[in-house]
Amino acid sequence: MSGLSLHAVRKRFGDTEVVGGVDLDIRDGEFVVFVGPSGCGKSTLLRLIAGLETTSSGQIHIDGRDVTGEDPVKRGIAMVFQTYALYPHMTVATNIGFPLEMGKRPKEEIDRKVAEIARTLHLEPYLQRKPRELSGGQRQRVAIGRAIVRQPGVFLFDEPLSNLDAELRIQMRLEIARLHQQLKTTMIYVTHDQVEAMTLASRIVVLRGGKIEQTGAPIELYENPDNSFVAGFIGSPKMNFLSAEVVGRTGSNEVVVSALQAGLRDLTVTPRGPAPAPGTPVTLGIRPEHFLPSPDQSAVGGTVSVIERLGGVSYVYVQLPDGSVVTVERREHEHIEPGQVHRFAVNPARVFLFDNAGFRV
Amino acid sequence: MKSTQLALSFVAPALLVLLAVLGWPLVQAVLLSFQNVKVIGSQGSFIGFGNYAKVLADQNFWGALGRSAIWVLANAVVQTALALGTALILNQKFPGVRIARTWVIITWIVPTVVVVIIWRWLLSSSGGMINPILIQLNLIERPIGFFQSRESAMTSLILINSWRWFPFTALMMLAALVNIPFELYEAGRIDGAGAWQRFKRITWPLLQPTLVVLGVVGTLLSFNVFDVIWLLTAGGPAGGTQTLPVLIYETAFKGYQLSEAATISVLTSIVLMGFALFMTRAMNSAEAQR
Amino acid sequence: MKRSVVQSFWLALSGFGLLLVIGLPFWWVITGSIKLPREIIGRVPTMIPQSFTLQHFQKLLQASDFLVYLINSVLVSVASAIIVVVLAVPAAYAFFRMRFPGRNGLYRAILLAYAFPSIVILIPLYGMFSALGLIDSPLALIIVNVALALPFSIWMMRSFLSNVPREIEEAAVVDGAPPAVILVRIMIPLITPGIASVGIFAFISAWTEYLFASVLIVSDARRTIPVGFAGIIGQYQIDWGLLLAGATAAILPVVLLFAFVGRWFVAGLTEGAVK
Repeated sequence: MSGLSLHAVRKRFGDTEVVGGVDLDIRDGEFVVFVGPSGCGKSTLLRLIAGLETTSSGQIHIDGRDVTGEDPVKRGIAMVFQTYALYPHMTVATNIGFPLEMGKRPKEEIDRKVAEIARTLHLEPYLQRKPRELSGGQRQRVAIGRAIVRQPGVFLFDEPLSNLDAELRIQMRLEIARLHQQLKTTMIYVTHDQVEAMTLASRIVVLRGGKIEQTGAPIELYENPDNSFVAGFIGSPKMNFLSAEVVGRTGSNEVVVSALQAGLRDLTVTPRGPAPAPGTPVTLGIRPEHFLPSPDQSAVGGTVSVIERLGGVSYVYVQLPDGSVVTVERREHEHIEPGQVHRFAVNPARVFLFDNAGFRV
Repeated sequence: MKSTQLALSFVAPALLVLLAVLGWPLVQAVLLSFQNVKVIGSQGSFIGFGNYAKVLADQNFWGALGRSAIWVLANAVVQTALALGTALILNQKFPGVRIARTWVIITWIVPTVVVVIIWRWLLSSSGGMINPILIQLNLIERPIGFFQSRESAMTSLILINSWRWFPFTALMMLAALVNIPFELYEAGRIDGAGAWQRFKRITWPLLQPTLVVLGVVGTLLSFNVFDVIWLLTAGGPAGGTQTLPVLIYETAFKGYQLSEAATISVLTSIVLMGFALFMTRAMNSAEAQR
Repeated sequence: MKRSVVQSFWLALSGFGLLLVIGLPFWWVITGSIKLPREIIGRVPTMIPQSFTLQHFQKLLQASDFLVYLINSVLVSVASAIIVVVLAVPAAYAFFRMRFPGRNGLYRAILLAYAFPSIVILIPLYGMFSALGLIDSPLALIIVNVALALPFSIWMMRSFLSNVPREIEEAAVVDGAPPAVILVRIMIPLITPGIASVGIFAFISAWTEYLFASVLIVSDARRTIPVGFAGIIGQYQIDWGLLLAGATAAILPVVLLFAFVGRWFVAGLTEGAVK
């Protein structure tokens, strides 16, 4: 069980800087999820921590020790790969025991530990099988078993669930969560799926373009994003963004904004920081669930273009007068049909304000 | 760095063998070319570029170079065409294709001397099989002397050498062909591409890297072919099939002009190196463009 | 994907043509070796032998040291094949899966080894081996064969190595396996078809090698098949029966070998088809 810290870590491949100055402290026992769009550097960062890539500059400390430049095996880490990377020609038992073999442990110890792990992961009937005879979920567990067997200080997961079908994914997600509860080891998990991030993480690290955009507990990122990128990335369906302008200020640090092209007028919103001056262009961020139905004929509205009914909740895509489309969440099964006019009000307390550079205002 | 040392130690044994067997003798050959050694084992003295002047002024050299060029070109064309066609056939599914794939290279696994015996017999004017069959089919009236004239001898050699090598080349191409995902062809078919279109737009581009390597290595290897020519025509008739390797051999072992032979060898190597470097550079820039 | 009738026709035609071009000569030679001399040189060539005789083979065994040549060839070829594999596999692994400075340049330099006509090195090599007392020794031949086969063998290993996903190697690195262990316990078991292919390639290259065998081996007792038969051709110029028997005798061992291992060679190369 180890804590981890990264200082000014950078990595370039040729002329491209894939990781551009990352500072991060991870406490012992945390479940940290690296999340971000493709190419944001999350996998590279994971591989740097693993030692599969060397940093171009910066240091990595694991358990208080500087491991920059050290071989993976000396870092006290274990990794579960996206394709599981099981040794195809070895049995499940040999696969799981392989790290101990490399550590030159005596045979009785290896056999004992492998049996123990097989029991924990329900792999006992498969110990003498080869990976190709196993299902996707079973292979996953073998990969996890191989990682657990060395009792590492840090577990690294590189998008382990992307090769599974939807149902299996949910099942394995729960197993990984359970594993963390059981072992209480530090876990670093890379995914592009923000649902996985939200459900598994004790802390999420959002990456973009090789840099950290924001870190924090899932609910914190959801309710208090630092910028429009994080706001738009976390939460599904995506947050709605409307261009607006500050038209006035009140005495108690509130601003009045209008998004005229969307048809939104004179909304009073509380910024997080000091109130910007009138005339400042801003972007409003409104989550789909923060639109309220409104019978008021003068409320904001537009034409329904598509409605997605998921059973308990429906997402209504409304095209506003200026052509932009907003997503509205509805829980009642009203007769909303494409082509209809749909009006809604905005809950001003739940509106996020962003400046033109994307920063939270 | 430790891993560099280790990697080098993996490469070292192979490298050592190559340096000892190919590198060092090469150096020796270059040194030899600057001397005037006649017979193997005799001593020679340093004569600078004397041999080079003599060789470059010699008609025989240029003649042999020209014949080598024809040899390489013709072989390349015939072999590539046959190999590609064969590879495409072997890439299909039909009963017996597995057996075909295994046994088609039988022409390569038998020693060259066997190839020589086979064709010397088949093409001979008395006792062979080809002439009587052609006469029986009324395609010719009198037996063809396949090795009689310079042109026919060269042509026969080219075809024989191609016969020997094209299945092996076909197999190498097949290895590249099978790596083209089947779905690409299916998608092409759905998009309405006919067989020729699918070849031109899917097969050909994906095959090119392999074709390039095969082309370069194949050309180098065919340039150096010695035994087939030597055992069938010994460079004749009247030097009509005397390619550079044959010339070198004759100069060294029949003419007892060791240094001169070395000189021709060095010149030949320069030509081939130039070709190889030119080709790889051209391919690299073509790759970069894409 | 069903083939149209027209396509099937052309496929069958070209397939048949291929069969004729490659198979007929061998058929003729093998059947010719058991025909009586008068049938061999008869005006009308026969597809099915009308006569049968073993006289040519008898003469072959009497007139030459065929069996000796065979044993020598087997010895040299097997040794060459083994050594090529032992050298080429680690070298290929280093070139294609490890990183070190000068890797690309060195790899290209090795392929360029084929840019030199073998004759160039023939004379100096003769001098070298002579000084080492290795003339007329199979060892000299083995060393030369190994060197000639190495560059292409390393190139062949490339595609086999690339079929092993990098993640498996990385997992082994994370598990603490040093590179030598990765090569032996992980890579080699996963590329055995490739190794077989390379071995077979080296074997056959050595089996058919003529030039160096003719110069480096002097005594009849150490001679290999290609040179032995060239001698027979020279000696029995137009005794077609004898020559055909010789050719058949030279074909049979490799054909026999290939009957067992041939499909490994091909399978190794065409693995992709199975996927």
